[in-house]
Amino acid sequence: MSKSTIWQSFGQRNQTEAFEELGQDEFREDLPMELDDKGILDAKTPRRDFLKYLGFSTAAASLAASCEMPVKTAIPFVNKPDNVVPGVANYYATTFTQDGDVLSVIAKVRDGRPIKIEGNDMSPITQGGTSARAQASVLDLYDTRRLRFPAQIVDGKTQEIPTFEAFDKTINEKLASLGGAPVVILTSTITSPSTKKLVGEFIAKYPGSRHVTYDAVSYSGMLLANEATFGNRAIPSYHFDNAKVIVSLGADFLGTWLSPVEFSKQYSKGRKINEEKVELSKHYQFESILSMTGANADERFTHKPSQEGVVAAALYNLVTGAGASGVDEKLKAGLEKVAKDLKAANGEALVVSGSNNTNVQILVNAINSAIGAYGKTINWSVTSNYKQGVDGDMAQLVADMNAGSVGALFILDANPSYDYPAAGKFNEGLKKVKLSISFNAKLDETTQLCQYSLPNNHYLESWGDAEAKSGYQSFIQPTIHPLFKTRQWQDSLLKWSGSTKDYATYLKEYWMEQVGSIENWDAALRVGVRYPGEVSVSAGSFNGAAVSAALSACSVAPQAGKWEVVLYQKVGIGTGSQASNPWLQELPDPVTKATWDNYAMISAAAANELFGIDIRKNGDSDSYEVNPGKPVIKIKANGQELELPILIIPGTEKNTIGIALGYGRHNKVGIAVRGVGKNVYPLASVSASGNRVYMVANAEVEKTGEKYEVAQNQVYNYYIDSLGVKRVEVVKETSLASFKANPEKFKHERDHLFEDYAKKSGDYRNEGSLYDPRLNDRPGIHWGMSIDLNTCTGCGACVVACNAENNIPVVGKKEVMRGHEMHWLRIDRYYVNKPGGDPDDLADVVFMPMMCQHCDNAPCENVCPVAATNHSSEGLNQMTYNRCIGTRYCANNCPYKVRRFNWADYTGADSFSDNQVGIISKVTLDMNDDLTRMVLNPDVTVRSRGVIEKCSFCVQRLQEGKLTAKKEGRPVKDGEVKTACQSACPTNAIVFGDANDKESMLTKSREHSPLRMYYALEQIHVLPNVNYLAKIRNTDEVEEHAGHGHAEEAAHG
Amino acid sequence: MSVLKYESAVRAPLVDGHKTYHQVTEDIIRPIEAAPSRLWKIGFGISVALLLFGVYSVYREVTYGIGQWNLNKTIGWGWDITNFVWWVGIGHAGTLISAILLLFRQGWRTGVNRAAEAMTIFAVMCAGQFPIFHMGRVWMAFFVLPYPNSRGPLWVNFSSPLLWDVFAISTYFTVSLLFWYAGLLPDLATVRDRAIVKWRKRLYGVLSFGWTGSTKHWQRHESLSLVLAGLSTPLVLSVHTIVSFDFATSVIPGWHTTIFPPYFVAGAIFSGFAMVQTLMIIVRKVLNLQDYITLEHIEVMNKVIVLTGSIVGVAYLTELFMAWYSQNPYEGYAFFYSRANLLSPYGWSYWGMMACNVISPQIFWFKKLRRNITVTFFMSVIVNVGMWFERFVIIVTSLYRDYVPSSWSAYYSPTIWEIGFYLGTFGLFFTCFFLFAKWFPVIAVAEIKHILKKSGESWKQEQGVLEDKKVDEFEEVMHH
Repeated sequence: MSKSTIWQSFGQRNQTEAFEELGQDEFREDLPMELDDKGILDAKTPRRDFLKYLGFSTAAASLAASCEMPVKTAIPFVNKPDNVVPGVANYYATTFTQDGDVLSVIAKVRDGRPIKIEGNDMSPITQGGTSARAQASVLDLYDTRRLRFPAQIVDGKTQEIPTFEAFDKTINEKLASLGGAPVVILTSTITSPSTKKLVGEFIAKYPGSRHVTYDAVSYSGMLLANEATFGNRAIPSYHFDNAKVIVSLGADFLGTWLSPVEFSKQYSKGRKINEEKVELSKHYQFESILSMTGANADERFTHKPSQEGVVAAALYNLVTGAGASGVDEKLKAGLEKVAKDLKAANGEALVVSGSNNTNVQILVNAINSAIGAYGKTINWSVTSNYKQGVDGDMAQLVADMNAGSVGALFILDANPSYDYPAAGKFNEGLKKVKLSISFNAKLDETTQLCQYSLPNNHYLESWGDAEAKSGYQSFIQPTIHPLFKTRQWQDSLLKWSGSTKDYATYLKEYWMEQVGSIENWDAALRVGVRYPGEVSVSAGSFNGAAVSAALSACSVAPQAGKWEVVLYQKVGIGTGSQASNPWLQELPDPVTKATWDNYAMISAAAANELFGIDIRKNGDSDSYEVNPGKPVIKIKANGQELELPILIIPGTEKNTIGIALGYGRHNKVGIAVRGVGKNVYPLASVSASGNRVYMVANAEVEKTGEKYEVAQNQVYNYYIDSLGVKRVEVVKETSLASFKANPEKFKHERDHLFEDYAKKSGDYRNEGSLYDPRLNDRPGIHWGMSIDLNTCTGCGACVVACNAENNIPVVGKKEVMRGHEMHWLRIDRYYVNKPGGDPDDLADVVFMPMMCQHCDNAPCENVCPVAATNHSSEGLNQMTYNRCIGTRYCANNCPYKVRRFNWADYTGADSFSDNQVGIISKVTLDMNDDLTRMVLNPDVTVRSRGVIEKCSFCVQRLQEGKLTAKKEGRPVKDGEVKTACQSACPTNAIVFGDANDKESMLTKSREHSPLRMYYALEQIHVLPNVNYLAKIRNTDEVEEHAGHGHAEEAAHG
Repeated sequence: MSVLKYESAVRAPLVDGHKTYHQVTEDIIRPIEAAPSRLWKIGFGISVALLLFGVYSVYREVTYGIGQWNLNKTIGWGWDITNFVWWVGIGHAGTLISAILLLFRQGWRTGVNRAAEAMTIFAVMCAGQFPIFHMGRVWMAFFVLPYPNSRGPLWVNFSSPLLWDVFAISTYFTVSLLFWYAGLLPDLATVRDRAIVKWRKRLYGVLSFGWTGSTKHWQRHESLSLVLAGLSTPLVLSVHTIVSFDFATSVIPGWHTTIFPPYFVAGAIFSGFAMVQTLMIIVRKVLNLQDYITLEHIEVMNKVIVLTGSIVGVAYLTELFMAWYSQNPYEGYAFFYSRANLLSPYGWSYWGMMACNVISPQIFWFKKLRRNITVTFFMSVIVNVGMWFERFVIIVTSLYRDYVPSSWSAYYSPTIWEIGFYLGTFGLFFTCFFLFAKWFPVIAVAEIKHILKKSGESWKQEQGVLEDKKVDEFEEVMHH
């Protein structure tokens, strides 16, 4: 340069020192990437340290909120807001609340649009874990069927009321003319302390008014039992992490019961294996159908749904020294074992029940008290607020409504017209209410029958707070301006009670009293959570007075018929309040692997009896599995009659039918619910004691000649193939006793491979190939993943997180049925039977997350004629969509079958016009709407028709992390970049990192578990970068021959 | 080019009916000059209709996506590649007859080689549709061509068997076309010379490249034929070997086997000969060419069928043996459950294949059946159905249940558009064949004349007459 006669500036010509220095820098000018006025090269703080920016942006936001009227319309930037850098995401701590669930989350906001939900690591309750529903909630924000304006409802249709002022005026007039008739506020559980205060203040203004809490799926029995035995109508804190013995009587605590994310986190601590000293918590499950939690249990016992009381009574008797009665031999033996374990655990044990029967819950409390669980695994000094509805209150309200004694009814996040067993009565009563206003976000079943609708904001548009447990608060702050003319319902309450404040101010004032200063409030919002420094533990004082009555009530099972029905919640759909979410509808159920429907889960034995399908016979099982059309049964129960297809779920109690709640929603709720499943809430009933009962003890079942197609993403359910060979190269699982007896078993299986194919060096990686070993010498970063099958519960949070992060299209039921689903990450579920051949006798269920294994010797790469898929120097198997011509050869040659092809123009990214309508499903079409497309992650290409796609290890996140590190002149730190699935996982089953970093969590995960670590299908020498840790279930049986099937002799390739 | 080295005492004449050279020309060229028959019109109409249905099926697939077919995440190839391999296989007989039999101086080939070569070309054209239109983005198909480009330049992946297919099929098509056309030149010139209509004279004049029949032309023609035969011969073996590499080089149980190249080549010749039989039996009947395509031809081709069918049978058994002998459970599953178990979902296709390809051709050990035209026609169809099953078995039964049981597929059956594409290639094939039969000599006139025993017979006869003649008479004859 110094000799150059061509120059661009005087500096260059004169070769000044400053110029020389400038020449050293990669970028001559500061890049607009840092917010603190420092140049990029001077910046010390990692950009991803989002808390800092949260502080800035939150302070600005709260300042703006308190000083100015909010801007009502969205306009493009003329002047760039200070805290928005195009292409750089902002992160805001907020809280996902739904039906009383509280999850502290972080919303990722790109260019003003929330696009992704992450768990908030700061929360001591969920510790960064999320659920499928929380992950999917961001899509609800952009739901095209959200109500968009305040309206009067006439004949189930909305008539817009032009302004909030006009609406308020009408309502105020109506409220004034009630003539003293009470106002009832009907909501699902409210966990927000400020809202509760506000509701209290509102009620005070309207004498005789009240607040009724109504949960779609009731926990009334538990609340009442706790009132009876502890004098406190509340739910204590559970600590599954402290329990060495966990007994669940039908509680799906990992999937849907109370606070599944919190419990999954706790539970996973007892399921991690330290190979030096193997210890596992012991989990017993008693249930009627195979729940996700049951699938994770070490030992499972099934009973008829009507026997739940008998089982609880028998266990109580056994724990307190009496004998069990009323249960069969198998169950009795199980209960005796459980009782022995419970007593031996010395208080480090926990019994939970999913029953809504007060008596059963009283017995469970008595058992917990007898085994000393209170104060050890159950803490009464911190109570949970997740569920507060007591069924009697609702029954009273319905009675009052029908009596015409309710003046006004405000409904928020409650939908009794759909999910109340006596919905007809409620609807009748609703007609007699003088003023009914729904704050629900959708034109749902209840809202259609109300007089007015004033849609509430989505939580991502809202201010708020939530108190999951006493003392543990989590805050909600808006991440986007309301998309539509919607208003937070708290604002309405304030308006209608004559206050001039808005809720944001109210909230701030409420918390200023608690936290003292604006700085503290800002800090609390920034972190998103607030919790006590020290937690006191209290056993509560157990009052056993009610126990003997409960015992005698439970000791005899109610009259039951041959068939019984149990209603359950699915992990994805839950109560059905989020049923219009396409991501959740397309999330395969962890147990049944079915999407887009509910169905009758029946046992293998019952299927054999009804339809002669013997799944032990290859012919029968083949024809059942390979055809999506499943036989339909007619179920008569509780005065209702409905037809549903069966799905054979081994491990279901014989003659028991499990049907999921939350389906059969009204068409107006959303496109995704149309034609999806049947509503089975009418099958629930109200017991004599006033609690809702989610089972039918006396049902009739008939077979029909019809078939109905169910879309499952997995049709074969075992890792033993139809010839009886265990595919141990795919799944490795054993019992704890076998593992202890033969700890080297899995390692030996791998060693075999090394002996056979790497005789000289023992280096299977290099010697096992004909190619030049230097090809495998990869310095620098080498990304890899380690998945612990022992802690994966199959909940599916990762699957939805992956959908959201990677813009994975929803394809709809018909396409799933045709094997066209696009999920990059799936969770394979394999049943493991006990020896003896009874398919319903399950030894274990293995959940195996499966995504692209990023093979270093990838079979997909060499077969692509145009080199559209290739290997990065960092071990990633990359897809170049632009280059892909769609031969699908790579998908065929993938032994893991993780590659997905764009069979149609699912995304609208295709260059052909008019090729979507009539071809892709209506749901997919709806997802192509401009509104819904706002959820797309701008960092990830939207794939067009005709190209293959697959897991990229979230390469956009890796790039971002590397860029940050590069700007700061340092290597990428371990744990700095997380894949979407990893960060969503509530049990930390997924570890991701650099395999070349000897100190990384990934390396440690592999090195600390040499006895369980394996690569799936290692024998084909594709050299995957994803490894699994074998599943060990805590049982005592020792496998014969230590599982030496001839599968282990699998020849190379 | 004389292919008749010696007069066989046992071999029946290759052309029946004591034809003269002129008769040969008349018999074969006449249909070109006559108006198309009713039968031809009906056949052509049906073919075009099928072709149009195929075009519409492909239009749907290109516009709406591969989702118009019932393929899925597990079964990435189904009817498309099955049909591709099937058509490529069919093409092989033509090349074998024209090239290898030429080099081996098999005189009987001349009766069928022209039509068989045409069949090859049309079959390869049909085959080519499938790898092209099975692409998700067919408009980007040119990405498979290695040419210096402005995308980097970005090159193709030379280690992909699909790319080898591109080279193999395009080479095959080019050489076959040249070979066929070179053979056509003298015959086209014959048509030209006989033409009494101006446009025909002009058209065939252009098509025959100014062939005059001079010795120099003949000499060049013969050399070119030999060179092309030399080029084609390895192609007979290589094309299907490379097609088999699509499967053999993969890791999928049922695909990953070293026996594939010879097994595929044998299967290709097997199916090709069956297709030649099907076509020839129709052609000789419709165009009245029984004297040129004789029972001898049919019998000798049946012999090839029973031989290659048995080779294929041995290959099937070898696969089963290796699946057991290797004790590889995945391979074992593919062969013993997905295929050999009749009750498994696709068991029917495996046993259909066995019945059609291995068991039924064995009837050709009997001379009577070998020489029975009805039986031959029926068998030729059976064999091609069987060979379609074979490709379906290889592709679908391997894919639908491979390594990871969670991904095992639900039952795959084609959509109407998938079937439509296949039918469309039949339409293409027969449309081309009907046009060929109408506008080109279906039998190599010039080559038939080389083997016409008539010449030798007549000469001998004349010699016999001469012996009886007086010298002056002889001289008079010689003067003429």
